[in-house]
Amino acid sequence: MILLNNLLAIFRRELQSYLTSPLAYLIATVFWLLSGFFFVSILLGPEGIIQQVSQREQQSIPTPPIDVAYQFIKIYFGFLGSLVLFILPVLSMGLYTEERKRGTLELLATSPLTNWVIAVGKLLGALAFFTVMIIPILGYEIFIFNAANSPVPPAVPLIAHLALILLAGAILSLGMFISSLTDSTIFAAVITFAIVLFLWVTDLIANRFTGALGEVFEHISLLSNYDTLVQGTLDTTSLVVFASYIVLGLFLTAQSIQLLRGNS
Amino acid sequence: MIEVENLSKSFGSTPAITDVTFSVKEGEILGFLGPNGAGKTTTMRILTGYLSASTGTAKIGSYEVHQHSLDVRKRIGYLPEHPPLYLDMTVQGFLAFVTQIKGVSRRDRAQQINRALERCFLEEKRHTLIRKLSKGYRQRVGVAQAIVHNPPVIVLDEPTIGLDPRQMIEVRNLIQNLAGDHTIILSTHILSEVSMTCDRVTIISNGSVVATNTPDNLTAELAGGGGYTLDVAGEAEELENLLNSLEEVASVTISPQENRERLTVKITCLPNTEPGDKIATVVVNAGFHLYEMQRDRPTLEDVFLELTAQDQPTTNTN
Repeated sequence: MILLNNLLAIFRRELQSYLTSPLAYLIATVFWLLSGFFFVSILLGPEGIIQQVSQREQQSIPTPPIDVAYQFIKIYFGFLGSLVLFILPVLSMGLYTEERKRGTLELLATSPLTNWVIAVGKLLGALAFFTVMIIPILGYEIFIFNAANSPVPPAVPLIAHLALILLAGAILSLGMFISSLTDSTIFAAVITFAIVLFLWVTDLIANRFTGALGEVFEHISLLSNYDTLVQGTLDTTSLVVFASYIVLGLFLTAQSIQLLRGNS
Repeated sequence: MIEVENLSKSFGSTPAITDVTFSVKEGEILGFLGPNGAGKTTTMRILTGYLSASTGTAKIGSYEVHQHSLDVRKRIGYLPEHPPLYLDMTVQGFLAFVTQIKGVSRRDRAQQINRALERCFLEEKRHTLIRKLSKGYRQRVGVAQAIVHNPPVIVLDEPTIGLDPRQMIEVRNLIQNLAGDHTIILSTHILSEVSMTCDRVTIISNGSVVATNTPDNLTAELAGGGGYTLDVAGEAEELENLLNSLEEVASVTISPQENRERLTVKITCLPNTEPGDKIATVVVNAGFHLYEMQRDRPTLEDVFLELTAQDQPTTNTN
């Protein structure tokens, strides 16, 4: 009960600090602009899905019927996945660096809270802000699905959203760990971005290796696991991979704060 | 209430504090005095559970700070050197957050927050963003967050640093009002602050405790009996021999005054002696003209300088 109260207090404070931060609104604005722009161009642009379908019909190429709504989800969420790679390190960079700079880490660390509770509360706060931020894209989807001829099973967009939130959780968790290591927000953002980019493309690296190492790289790739989920398959392995990233980030954060208090 | 025994802490191979031992009784204010970098902050951080000690034990009440860290942290209020404030919160919102993480029950929160606001004279600022407060007000919010959960023990690291004289007096009064209900440790390098607010003083130098006593006892014991300054006319060498023949006199320095035929004589006495009458008698009986005689009482400054002298090799040899 006390644990839950503590968690809630940290979570609320973190969410509140996003909601009062101009930087967070700037990030949200960029996200909304870009996601809106890509929505329009994927659907209606010269290379867009609708254009492609109509071209094929004009050239009377015999093609199997294309499920536009389903195609759209795959392409659009693929794009959103890459977009958040750039945005999330900026959201996570201040999680601990600000506390270290302001000296408030000392307040948290001398309160009856465990390092884990602090880390989990902060991660949930950041993730909640992200979830609020992606709510407007639901509007686009409602628009698409209303127009869809054969209705898309609701599981597909649900799993895609889950995938996006899990991806965000993994990146924010790792980013939080990086931010716990330094007083510099810029440094935290850059290093987080580098690590996330590496994990994004490890399946490309995997092709260069054979055997066990290649397989490991293939499994830990954020991109391939994200893609699996976005295609509408609720794959347990992918869920486990994302959950592992989140727990790993939390564990490393708790450890690094413990180390800071033991040795510095 | 607070028992610290043989506490040591090293950062890498550099020792920060060595074998620090002291205790504080319930309701007492202990002043922690030392030059910058002596280990005051490190000791306080160990007491509050922020850092762990390399060796030794520290107890708050019946709880050992490392083994029962969470219990200790519930019972301690801590103001670090830089007040830990979230600038994007209002004063009241911030204090509410602190009561939540310190585990104050939901029922008592509003009352405790109001009491802290009242004690720190922050009532009219309760809805102001901390970002907009001046340094003096921020310091008060720092004190308020240390007392808002009504902890039995309060640890204040340089609570008056950077304040103007008026704010200093306010904060000192506030601290004195807290004593009795709370046990307080307060670090400072302002000596007058210690004699004004503290019941006892622990002087720390180079990471070790060099003395613990009441401010009065410290000055009496360690700075010896003080001395006298005389304004005399006469022959210097003869006067020096005469004064040195007194058994209570430890040392004599004589210097001629500018612009007139007189001597300034500085006499240091042995501890616990008061040979003023003897000095006056021998000086006058030997035919010197004694124009002025002044008792130099030792101050806490002298004690402090004497005890921490090994820190810096001084060129002052007299």
